Amino acid sequence: MSRYRLLLKKIGWSVFTILFVLILNFFLFRVLPGDPARAGVKDPRLKKEAVEAIRVRFGLDKPVINCFDSLNPIKIGNCAINPFDTQFFIYLRNLAQGELGISFHTNRPVAEILVERLWNTILLIGAGQILSILVGIALGVIAAWKARTAIDYGALITGLVTWSLPTFWLGIILLFWGSSHGFPVGGKATIGTSSFPFLYQVGDVVRHMILPTLTYTIVYMGEYLLIMRSSLLDVLAEDYILTAKAKGLSAFQILKDHALKNAMLPIVTIIAINLGFTVAGAIQIEAVFSWPGLGGAIYEAVVRRDYPVLQGAFLLIAVSVIIANLIADLTYSYLDPRVQAE
Amino acid sequence: MAVQELELKPSVPSSPLLGFWNVFRKNRMAVLGLFMLLIIIVLAVFADILAPYDPRSYEDIQSSDVYQPPSAEHWFGTDDAGKDVLSGFMYGARISLIVGFFAAFISIFIGGVIGIVAGFFGGKIETFLMRFTDLMLVIPDLPLIVVIVALTKPSLLNIIFVIGLLGWTTTARVVRSQTLAVKSRKFVLRAKALGAGNWHIIWHHILPLVMPILVVNAVLVISLAILNESTLSFIGLGDPTAISWGQMLNFAFGRGAMSVGAWWALVAPGFGIVWVVLALTLLGNGLEQALNPRLESHHLMPGRQTVQKEAGEFSPAPDFYRRDAPLLLDVQNLSVHYVNNGNVAKAVQNVSFKLHEGELLGLVGESGCGKTTLMMALLRLLPSAGEIASGHVYFAGRDLMALSEEEMADVRWSGISIIFQGAMNALNPVRTVGDQIKEAILKHIPEFPPRALEDRVVELLDLVGIAAEHKDHFPHQYSGGMRQRAMIAMALSCNPQIVIADEPTTALDVMIQAQILELLDELRKKLGLAIIFVTHDLGVVAEMCDTVLVMYGGVTAEYADVDTIYNAPRHPYTQELLKAFPDLSKLERRLSSIPGYPPKLDALPPGCRFAPRCPLAFERCTREMPALHVLAKNHVVSCHLVEQP
Amino acid sequence: MKIRYTLVVLLTIGALLLSACGGLGQAQPVVLRIGWPGSPDTLNPGVAVLAESYTIFELVYDTMYDLQLDGSFKLNLAESVSVSDDHLVYTYKIRDDVKFHDGQPLTAEDVVFSYLLYQNTEGYPWMGDYTYYFEKIEATDNNEVVITLSEPIPNIDAQLVFLYVLPKHIWENEDPVEFENLAMIGSGPFKMVEYKQNEFVHLAKNEDYFGTVPKVDEVIFQTFENQDALVQAIKTGQVDMITEMPNTAVTSLREDPNIEVVTGAPFSPSVTDIIFNQVSPENCPPEDGVCSGHPALRDRNVRLALAHATDKQKIIDVVLLGLGTPGTTLLPDGLGIWYNTEIKDYEYDVAKANQILDDAGYLDADGDGTRDMPDGSRPLIFRLNWPSDSIDAPRMAELLSEMWGQVGVKLEAQAMDPDALTSVCCPAFDFDVIIWGWASDPDPNLLLSVMTTDEIPTGSSETGYSNPRYDELFRQQASELDLEKRRQIVWEMQRIVHEDVVYIIPFYPQNVQAYRKDRFTGWILDQPKVELSDVTSLVVVEPVR
Repeated sequence: MSRYRLLLKKIGWSVFTILFVLILNFFLFRVLPGDPARAGVKDPRLKKEAVEAIRVRFGLDKPVINCFDSLNPIKIGNCAINPFDTQFFIYLRNLAQGELGISFHTNRPVAEILVERLWNTILLIGAGQILSILVGIALGVIAAWKARTAIDYGALITGLVTWSLPTFWLGIILLFWGSSHGFPVGGKATIGTSSFPFLYQVGDVVRHMILPTLTYTIVYMGEYLLIMRSSLLDVLAEDYILTAKAKGLSAFQILKDHALKNAMLPIVTIIAINLGFTVAGAIQIEAVFSWPGLGGAIYEAVVRRDYPVLQGAFLLIAVSVIIANLIADLTYSYLDPRVQAE
Repeated sequence: MAVQELELKPSVPSSPLLGFWNVFRKNRMAVLGLFMLLIIIVLAVFADILAPYDPRSYEDIQSSDVYQPPSAEHWFGTDDAGKDVLSGFMYGARISLIVGFFAAFISIFIGGVIGIVAGFFGGKIETFLMRFTDLMLVIPDLPLIVVIVALTKPSLLNIIFVIGLLGWTTTARVVRSQTLAVKSRKFVLRAKALGAGNWHIIWHHILPLVMPILVVNAVLVISLAILNESTLSFIGLGDPTAISWGQMLNFAFGRGAMSVGAWWALVAPGFGIVWVVLALTLLGNGLEQALNPRLESHHLMPGRQTVQKEAGEFSPAPDFYRRDAPLLLDVQNLSVHYVNNGNVAKAVQNVSFKLHEGELLGLVGESGCGKTTLMMALLRLLPSAGEIASGHVYFAGRDLMALSEEEMADVRWSGISIIFQGAMNALNPVRTVGDQIKEAILKHIPEFPPRALEDRVVELLDLVGIAAEHKDHFPHQYSGGMRQRAMIAMALSCNPQIVIADEPTTALDVMIQAQILELLDELRKKLGLAIIFVTHDLGVVAEMCDTVLVMYGGVTAEYADVDTIYNAPRHPYTQELLKAFPDLSKLERRLSSIPGYPPKLDALPPGCRFAPRCPLAFERCTREMPALHVLAKNHVVSCHLVEQP
Repeated sequence: MKIRYTLVVLLTIGALLLSACGGLGQAQPVVLRIGWPGSPDTLNPGVAVLAESYTIFELVYDTMYDLQLDGSFKLNLAESVSVSDDHLVYTYKIRDDVKFHDGQPLTAEDVVFSYLLYQNTEGYPWMGDYTYYFEKIEATDNNEVVITLSEPIPNIDAQLVFLYVLPKHIWENEDPVEFENLAMIGSGPFKMVEYKQNEFVHLAKNEDYFGTVPKVDEVIFQTFENQDALVQAIKTGQVDMITEMPNTAVTSLREDPNIEVVTGAPFSPSVTDIIFNQVSPENCPPEDGVCSGHPALRDRNVRLALAHATDKQKIIDVVLLGLGTPGTTLLPDGLGIWYNTEIKDYEYDVAKANQILDDAGYLDADGDGTRDMPDGSRPLIFRLNWPSDSIDAPRMAELLSEMWGQVGVKLEAQAMDPDALTSVCCPAFDFDVIIWGWASDPDPNLLLSVMTTDEIPTGSSETGYSNPRYDELFRQQASELDLEKRRQIVWEMQRIVHEDVVYIIPFYPQNVQAYRKDRFTGWILDQPKVELSDVTSLVVVEPVR
């Protein structure tokens, strides 16, 4: 019973957070200086009439919300308008229908663009996350096990250095190196190979993924390493480890049966929280390697002031991170029997 | 766990700041970080003097100067506009550090205020603030920063503000929990009782204690701010009039350094970022270590347990208990040292005793006298700093100190098992109790029939009075007493010949204590176990034990059978202990406790270890360590007094 | 039925597998790979903005006229044209051998449909300008299009050159603004195979093309997010040609024996300008004007002094590594005959610049190193802004700060978001100096209009420059039908704005492209403008044997 209530409470909180993000997302793009209509115009030197036509096209001629034509709080506008004919309501209604507006730059529905690119990002982040988690955790476990030895210090320094690397810089350096060693310099696949055998295409994508994934792995591995190491060090200093040792279990058995599960618990939370940062990393990696993903979309949208895409991408990312957090929370309570009882 | 209490603690420093520095200075990584940071700060501050060129000037620059490799004139080469990269690097340090420090200052300020207010005032304010913090925490900050900066003017000031305004969440959380911890301290409560205003208390009492954590956090926030700024600049959202390292990278990357092969223009600024962030990370870790010293040691680290470096004087152990019962354990001249940074602490010195089948030996002494260390040494479970300096432990004809780690693992639990004090943490919280018992059985009796296993677990739990249905429960679903009994059941699971019970009842209430003691005594009689009972409670000893070993400062003070100890104690320490023990038959006697504390193991007195507290001490006691005198076949004492008639 | 259907699927799969396996061994199609840093913003010609879109349109669609690399026009879809004596009625005879890629013939109906679509669709913000003078557009028979103008204009070819002819049978059923046009049925020498935005555009040759049928089988434009990646791609042979690259890479690419670097005036005329806010109070737009410009900039002497203090060659050297030509007026050298070659630019001479300012009374009264207004009211400190998406502008800003500093003028430099820049620029005139640029039509009309008084309130005029004589000449050239006479007027207009120092034009950037000599040959390089991705090149290149 209490478990379901906990579940409901957590889901409720996530829903609330998502609502908050929805509203923040709407007002953020309107309260800040810089006229979104201007951005939609693309060519900033367009004539006024043309600007007006574009405002109508993107629905920016409507009042933002009742009583406010713009978000200038001093300028009270018309309150006696149909609330359903305001930008805010239209935004909510479109969202409910899965529409995120039309890209200023490409004239295509933002949702369509984002979905297309989401998969590429998932592919890249997925591969990178899995690799960095595996490598980071493995190194972290070894470091903690062999605490205060040369192995430990080596792993610790590796972790600290990789943690300090700016993602985009590492990407640049690897690109620099890779481009002269036969690696593709960007993109997701060699163009014009769509008629080639399937396996060839898979191999081609893998080849394109190597450098970005490597960048990703190196940058995020460090954090997992450090957290796993300190988490495991804490666990290994616990009394029940001594109990296990007193029971005659070997070091390997203790590690496997008593330490790892307990030490993994904080990692689950970190992985979820990391997803937010992960996207930050994806922006940088995708910008450097021309990877056609969400991060790349954000980068392009920034460069081209394509606010609907920026807005949609931000929303998508924030919502994914919130959901990831929720999943991590639930996983945690599933893994740790102590949580269920509370 | 008592073993850790014996670890060396840093001696109390004269001033908190000096003490902090002393700890900090020992952390090589932190010192390295500080040093690295100082170098960059010097470069940034004195860029005007140090830089070989003015990075703003285009004098004498021609198109042939663009992207020249490192040379004598340009140590780091030239950039996309033909300017000196080294000079740009120094001036870039300035901008990057300014952004980092100022943005972090804003974050720390906001986070600090929110954290302190939430922690101090509590209630609805706290709920609201922390919910808000949670909210901000799940919103991915870099995309948000990117969005906001994209929508506003890319000036340095804007960037500082945006990074600063969004970077406070972790600080708020850390500060809040620290405030909560500080708030309930005595002097804060006292100030409150005296009617001090809230802000007065926050300013004068809370803030000074929150400050250190704030500083540690600040270091990490600075590094994040620097990383964020460089990322922003790199994706073209920086302030192009303030050339930070990120800007330099943006220019180089955007203006063809890669295709020209001008690695120097890419490497130098990136190296700067890594250098500073690494320096700050090292420093942050070091500061944290200095504030919260953490033992970076654990139970799986290999010890140095069997170093037989001292021959050891012979110390006699009387062999007095029922001669008919076979001898199980023969401990001879066991000495244990803790070695820490070259300091040696003699935790146990030359202790000998014997244990027979069915015997219950009480090991008595105040905490810090080496009792637990002695027991851990028997099982070779000492922490990594501990080493067995000398001695032998004969069990079943073999010297445990000479066994390999694998052979020792076989002896544990099946030969000698141990019940730890505070079973609260001695059971793994994420596995069921039954599972943990089964594991022990299967380890030592792998051929145990799987079907009988469940029955065996039920039987063991039943033995200690736990109903079968609790076997699949997790430790946190047990009460304290049940956990202790489950621990006992586990200790008995492999039919050991000896059970060490290390203060098994300390954390429990009196009723349950009694139950557990009764249970142990009962089991001893039923199963023919030998038990070593570690305690500071003489009452328990009097009731159950056959023999008693009193330890003080790591050495045997007195060792005799229980009657002798109670009726004719010869060591002043034993006598003092008895005085502290309420004897119901002699109600008129005043209860007294022994003034002072047991000696620090790394600063032992030169003579008798009890001398500083001994009411009967005389000159010789402070000079010469007493030998172990055999008073009778069943009584040994280490005290100069027994030599006197 | 069902069984047969399954059989067909199986056969198809089998055939696909066979072709997939055998495909590598058989004769490969000749594929030309082009690397570029962008991607079309849309395939809908009505709403497209980016040059990349137009590159693709030129390959897939036909227009009435083709723009040649020498800046002249040539009839394309029409065999002939006849003009009425009053220059108001143009009758085009459409070729009868033109087919759309889906096999349907292209007729006068399609042409008229397209032109009317461009004229009447409100959501097409740019097309209104090109169809502004068209009073009537009709198909008199299957092969004849008659355009009636509202007034005579000198440049109908320039109006029609971007009006791509669309298939009526497809477009009449679609929303003209929202239609994504992914299948992109056109009639040009190439047809669309596949398009993935920001990834690639895959084209194949149109065997049935009425003009020159391309010699290559397929052309693929691949998007690279940055120019370095482009350079690497051509070095490694991943692509055969690149349309852009950083100027810094030119030297190293020239050393590569397999790569040829070509530079020249860009196909689309382009100019980088330094804008002075010189709007006078009486011309300040009543509705939107802020007009906060520094008064000194309204004085020609100050602008002239700044022109003498600007070392254009150094800017070109540092910013473009020499790959640009010093500019005179807003009309770039890429405009062919319209470009006034007689203008002698102000020489770089700091002493002279200082002298001009001294003589005009701008002295450093308070000795702080910055000159002041003659009445001492305020120092010559100008705000300098530029769009934050420009990677070259910050370097230029640094250079200008240093150069103008030598004549006692101080700059407060600040990058601005392009939108924010627009809102301070025009018609608000809330700035002092801006670094920006233009890319424009092949016809000079647009760039000339920017400096007229009429455009001050519309936001097209960035300087607020107002000169009645210039305005008069602008009207004259707009209706002068004689090419040579019109050229003379245009030249005179350039002389006037150069004389008045309306802008300082630091340079006209050059197009820098490269191709692999070991792969394809036949690129068109002997023209005044350089554009390897132009259709004229792409239909004639062939593999190196």
